[in-house]
Amino acid sequence: MKTIWKGMLFAGLLASSVASSLVSSPALAEDLDGATLFRKRCSACHQPDGQGIPGAFPALAGNAFVQGDGDAVASVLLSGRGGMPNFSGQLADRDIAAVLSFVRSSWGNQAPPLSAEQVAALRARLHANAYDPAPPGGGRGH
Amino acid sequence: MKNTSAASHASSGPTLSRREFLYRAAAVGGTGLLLNTLNAWGASVGSTENGPPALSGDGKGKTIIILGAGLAGMTAAYELGKLGYTCRILEARDFAGGRCQTARKGFTLKEYGGEEQVCQFDEGQYINHGPWRIPYNHQSTLHYTKLFQVPLEIMVNDNDVAWVYREGAPGPLLNRRVRQLEIKADMRGHVAELLAKAVKDDKLDNELTVEDKRLLLNYLAHEGHLSKNDLKYRGGEGRGFKVYPGAGTDPGPGMESDPLGFKELLGSELGNVYSGVHEIWQQATMFQPVGGMDSIAKAFEKRVGKDIRYGTIVQAIRQQEDGVSIDYRDAVTGATGSVHGDFCLCTLPLSVMGSIANDFSPQFKEALRAAPYLPVGKIGLQMKRRFWEEDDFIYGGHIRTNFQGIGDITLPSTGWQSQKGVLLGYYNFASQATEISAMSLQERTDFALAAGQKIFPSYRESCEAAFSVAWHRVPYNLGGWATWTPEARKTAYPLLWQGEGRVLLAGEHMSYLGGWQAGAIESAWQQVAKIHQRMGA
Repeated sequence: MKTIWKGMLFAGLLASSVASSLVSSPALAEDLDGATLFRKRCSACHQPDGQGIPGAFPALAGNAFVQGDGDAVASVLLSGRGGMPNFSGQLADRDIAAVLSFVRSSWGNQAPPLSAEQVAALRARLHANAYDPAPPGGGRGH
Repeated sequence: MKNTSAASHASSGPTLSRREFLYRAAAVGGTGLLLNTLNAWGASVGSTENGPPALSGDGKGKTIIILGAGLAGMTAAYELGKLGYTCRILEARDFAGGRCQTARKGFTLKEYGGEEQVCQFDEGQYINHGPWRIPYNHQSTLHYTKLFQVPLEIMVNDNDVAWVYREGAPGPLLNRRVRQLEIKADMRGHVAELLAKAVKDDKLDNELTVEDKRLLLNYLAHEGHLSKNDLKYRGGEGRGFKVYPGAGTDPGPGMESDPLGFKELLGSELGNVYSGVHEIWQQATMFQPVGGMDSIAKAFEKRVGKDIRYGTIVQAIRQQEDGVSIDYRDAVTGATGSVHGDFCLCTLPLSVMGSIANDFSPQFKEALRAAPYLPVGKIGLQMKRRFWEEDDFIYGGHIRTNFQGIGDITLPSTGWQSQKGVLLGYYNFASQATEISAMSLQERTDFALAAGQKIFPSYRESCEAAFSVAWHRVPYNLGGWATWTPEARKTAYPLLWQGEGRVLLAGEHMSYLGGWQAGAIESAWQQVAKIHQRMGA
């Protein structure tokens, strides 16, 4: 909550992440479990049952990619891809690990969990944005 | 004194002063050169491209297929049509405009995974749930509003009288609504006083000459409304009164208000809500079309509508040696068909390209996936009474809040002093937008009302109707706008900009004016010139 104003000051996501060190305090992860994170942050598109919407949002249930290499899956959240937004600034390492571990073990999916350490290492390797959950996000809009 | 700019350097040395230079330029080149010179010396504050490309030749007999009847597609059709090209625009929706939409009575929207929504606002009430600002510097958008005579009015994009509200602000400012003018006056006053003290106490002598110090103190007194004799800040009328002055002896002169404490203000971080100068795209003068942003879409549609095939969902883009074929499916009948053209301009958002078969190269396919789209949500709330005007004297502008999922609450810049109005109850982005969009329509409304109620006592009881959008769930958009990383700008963006074969791309995503209508228009202008060149017409 401390970082509240920076998104209002700087319209660009990048500009705000640069500036945030000036006006914000370190933020903590949300500390939510994977199921709650999924419901809140992912289910609007991928649907509560993980079935997605054909032609728009891929089904996560039964998805081979989702159950494959953990780094590959996590890199989609850290970098975005196609229509999929980049959530690197809004999800902490432990949040990404928790939500992906949930997705990889729900609706019949069977893949090993991810650790926060694994996500942190990947975040560094990808030069992804730091976790910085400023509420107004993208700025003042258009 | 150190010179930090070319202008100050020019005025101090043997080189020409700015004024001398301009006089000479005018003498040599006339006023045209003078104007160019003025622009060269100043800061550029208007679109680099402020009109369509000047093209000659004849496109007769050539067919250009345009995918998407948003502003990019319709700009291209309009300009290509002037050159004699046959344009065929394929549009998935049953109306034109793309994201340039306005929700008013009867407007329907069904998000993916969502309920059918029919706008229930009263006649004359509306919300621009897509783009809703036209800054003065977007001379490309303004080119068409002028050409098509789309009436504009001012959009109040900043209002010093508007409330700022920070939940959780420490100290006496906790959960208290404060007007922006109080914060602005007091922060600037306190900072100016502090800096003036440092100057007077010779703390900045390494940086400043005696003359600099005199000039800076003058500036600080002016900027911070400090008293001239002791350079102290004691408030002033700019921050509002305790008792507003009037006639006679009561209220007579009224009573000045007391400034907020410097430490409390600093601790609250409320001062971070504004900057000395706004980002250029948020500055006054800000416009909006009278009656809704879709006036622009309709003005284009009036001119190129005959070329649009509505309800036409693009299924595949296939290139041949001599042209491009587009397979489509009719949204109503489900029937499939195909059109063939000499060239194709694709203005569809990159976020929907994944569902369209194509024979692009692997590199081009990969580049099409390089720009994630930002989730964006808005909600319009029709209020039966303009309590913000009547009770709080706020005429347009933004209530800045730190509520998660709300951001700014924005008051309408039209219909002043009328009975009802539609305000924007939230404008959210990224994961906050995905979170709010997972709610039902009623939950979204309740969420917005609960936040606004903390600032305006009449908020909830005044609300009559709501209309919300989550752009990432809107068919044929799947996101607010493209977000490019610096890396993707270097690799995928130029590749996409070049196009492949007989297909070029346009839209806000093909510009550095991302999310703005000007980006759509200016990208279309450049691609039109390239198509015309390629056609050799």
